[in-house]
Amino acid sequence: MSLLDSEAGKRRLLSVEIPVIERYNEGRDPAFQIRMSRLGGTLVLRYCLKPGHNIYQLETRLVSSYPTVPPETRVLTALKHCPHLLEGQTLCLWRQGSTRAGSRWDPARFTCIFAVQAAWRWLACYEIWHETGEWPLPEAK
Amino acid sequence: MAHLLQVGAGSGGMPVLDMICRDPRLTKVTLIEPDVYKPHNVERHLFPLSAVGEAKAVLAQRWLLERRPDLVVELLPCDLCDSAKQAEIEAVAACCDIGVCAADNEPAKYHWDALMRRHGKPWTLGEVLSGGIGGFVHWFVPGGPCYGCVASHLKRTVTVDKAPTPDYSQPGGPVHETTIPASKASIQTIASLHALITLGLLEDPAHYSPGFTTLLLTLQRVPEVFEEGFRPYRFRIPRAADCLICQARPTPSTVEELDVALDQALARLEDA
Repeated sequence: MSLLDSEAGKRRLLSVEIPVIERYNEGRDPAFQIRMSRLGGTLVLRYCLKPGHNIYQLETRLVSSYPTVPPETRVLTALKHCPHLLEGQTLCLWRQGSTRAGSRWDPARFTCIFAVQAAWRWLACYEIWHETGEWPLPEAK
Repeated sequence: MAHLLQVGAGSGGMPVLDMICRDPRLTKVTLIEPDVYKPHNVERHLFPLSAVGEAKAVLAQRWLLERRPDLVVELLPCDLCDSAKQAEIEAVAACCDIGVCAADNEPAKYHWDALMRRHGKPWTLGEVLSGGIGGFVHWFVPGGPCYGCVASHLKRTVTVDKAPTPDYSQPGGPVHETTIPASKASIQTIASLHALITLGLLEDPAHYSPGFTTLLLTLQRVPEVFEEGFRPYRFRIPRAADCLICQARPTPSTVEELDVALDQALARLEDA
């Protein structure tokens, strides 16, 4: 299923992903709403999160093979080098496994908002790590 | 008189294809397989060392015709998910009687599942676990659980393949998985079950009822994973009411209306 090129992908967007983004945005301060744009075959979600004292700008990409392949999220705001941070400030949110058992991502149950919530949790951990030097959650699964 | 559409003729797919095609009910096969036979395949494959360098699809065709000269074997030497080949793949799916998925990656399995559901075809899937410690066979029929329902259910209830946790503190890209190849014997065992279930499903797709929708057979005792070797687990996995893959939700009926609605929705979110 190709997200923007196939009928199934478009139906998934219209019936699942876009409604949950609109629900997320409803009543939220405009500065913290999700904005969405196309970038070739990829959809890019841009948004801000404030898990504690700081505001972070983020970008979550739904690649053409989404939702089979999990969303990729990176922080645009400069971060200190820390655990669970991959190249390009991409967040390590779930194991990048190619097998069913090897990845926490579940395309039958999760939407892109799950990735936004996971990013919020990651940033909350980052703020704690920044102060204490310890990452408060166990390894990703 | 049955037409089989299969994706994958690797070490798992080829024995399944071979066993199914011995059945005289099968009269036509279409095989989707883009890969070339490589030296490292020889240990677990039906084909000889001398075949290295040839296309697996061509080798499979030759193998089948040497045993069933009456069989019609058509090849699609392309990637299942190749967007340029979708029209051709859709056309074959529309006229096949049963599908067999022997793909080894999740995107291909989901793609296949969507293809089979779109055309209302029964299909089966075999999966050998890393290290050959066991394997799954699943069967699917129109209106039943989709691969998303099954994968989601198994992800929550079955623990397999407990690899050591990779070091996530090392930046530099996604962590590569270490998978341990399964033995030919393990692959053949799961392939045999896969073939049996496929042939059973072919007999009467509407009433096939072996007592499970997914069968897991353990082949080894693995501490903290499988308490016993050679133990079958039978799962009756229902269609999930909240599955985001297969549950129909109201959307525009025509492709044109769908495009317009999507453009409007994306425009709303661009301006949010």
